[in-house]
Amino acid sequence: MPPDAWRHFRGVRAASALGRGSAKSLAVTYLSLLVLIPLAALVTNAFNKGLGSFWHAVTQQESLDALRLTLLCSFIASAVNAVAGLATAWVLVRDRFPGQAILNAIIDLPFALPTVVAGVIFYTLYGPLSPFHVNITGTWIGVTVAIMFVTLPFTVRSVQPVLESFTFSAESAAATLGASPARVFRTITLPALMPAILTGTGLAFARAIGEYGSVVFISNNLPYRSEVASSYIYSLAVSDQTNSAASVAVALLIIALALLIFFNVTAQRLARHRA
Amino acid sequence: MTRSTLTLRTLVIGYVGLLVGLPLVFVFQQAFIHGLGAFWTAMRDQGMDHAIFLTALVALVAVPLNVIFGVGASLWIVRHPSRFTRVLDTIIDVPLAISPIIVGLVLELVYAQGGWFGSTLAKLGWQIMFSFPGIVMASIFVSLPLVSRQVIPLLRELGDHQEKTASTLGAGPIRIFFTITLRSITWATAYGVSLTLARVIGEYGAVLIVSGNIALVTQTLTLDIGANFDNFNTYQGFVGAVLLALTSIVLLLILGVARHRERKRNEYLA
Repeated sequence: MPPDAWRHFRGVRAASALGRGSAKSLAVTYLSLLVLIPLAALVTNAFNKGLGSFWHAVTQQESLDALRLTLLCSFIASAVNAVAGLATAWVLVRDRFPGQAILNAIIDLPFALPTVVAGVIFYTLYGPLSPFHVNITGTWIGVTVAIMFVTLPFTVRSVQPVLESFTFSAESAAATLGASPARVFRTITLPALMPAILTGTGLAFARAIGEYGSVVFISNNLPYRSEVASSYIYSLAVSDQTNSAASVAVALLIIALALLIFFNVTAQRLARHRA
Repeated sequence: MTRSTLTLRTLVIGYVGLLVGLPLVFVFQQAFIHGLGAFWTAMRDQGMDHAIFLTALVALVAVPLNVIFGVGASLWIVRHPSRFTRVLDTIIDVPLAISPIIVGLVLELVYAQGGWFGSTLAKLGWQIMFSFPGIVMASIFVSLPLVSRQVIPLLRELGDHQEKTASTLGAGPIRIFFTITLRSITWATAYGVSLTLARVIGEYGAVLIVSGNIALVTQTLTLDIGANFDNFNTYQGFVGAVLLALTSIVLLLILGVARHRERKRNEYLA
């Protein structure tokens, strides 16, 4: 009898199926206890005093100002990084120069660096004790700069692989036919990169909307002026206004999901249109 | 070389340098501004040492749990697809779209006193919020999809013909997992583990809410840095910040190696 023969007995098969079954239920329990039940509790807490109370919490002036500031700063930062990210990916793929590997490595730093570290650095660089005598604490500019830092890698890393696998043939054909480099870029390269740019920008936007650690120090959290949505939710949560906190949180989640879906659907439609 | 290439290169280096390079240099300069001796004294600050210990302990529990879950869920989603796994595939990515503050809030709504399970757990004598288990749960939540997002695409690409072959040759499921599946996803998993570790060590907002931020008890390293800044212990804060920055640089290097190995493996397979 071969040494592995015991594995073929029916009992072992059944045990392995049982093992797989219990592993699956463990995974579902893990996900439920950590993610699904807590999210259900959030929605319940937001609406358990009725739709009116939800709406009242979301439309408080402080809430509206926080949501508006969050969306505005996130929009500016992701738009800037859409352009800068495209340029960076371009330089990383099409250009060759010494130190390029360092540039490539440093792009990922905002992913790996804890947000609070970024927060305290930006507060010190551009705060009241700034070595450059630039104080942007408590302003939308400060919030935007912090968000620009954390969202930098998204567009770069979504455009870079597409650009790497891009074949030059269409571009060289257009150039041979007399198109200027700018026109080649506008009519051939950019449309091919557009889905990747949109996907990256969507991810950056979703990340920006929920950002806390990197923003909280430089923003000074002045209500109506420089308080972002996550910071407002935090202040509600710690002052035991749980229902209001849950309501604003649900509003913020809906906005983030809607934006993600919008960007993804647009990117897919563009990709399909090209194909 | 054209002038426009040079201009673009300069602009990109300038932008990334100002946005990422300058802050990185600045944090090291601030931490070593008083010399190595002062840095060493600050390193032995009681609050910070406890915070480092707690962060390490949280990572030690949260990271393995998420790796087991991530690999297991990936195998389930790719190898045993059903209508159920399609839903699972979507849900798994949800934590990435949720603000850390909301993560802290939702856990509090369930596990704090007055939350859904809070009073039952309190009767059993289990305290989850404002203590170690809560911090672990928040860390797991925010880093949940980081392993599976690396492993799922790779498993899809590899297909299962090697596993099927091994099975016809008489290998059992356990042997197949360890000799074939696990070996082919090692580097993708390593990549996911580094991302998970970076996220767990660096989490701030979610942990801020669930831990209660109590110095010497539930303060992780990120919270300790934040508290030092709030209390104008700026230098101490920068020493902690440099430790975290160094950790993330090491993790980035590991990520670079993992990605390189992964690519080499794929070239070999192709």
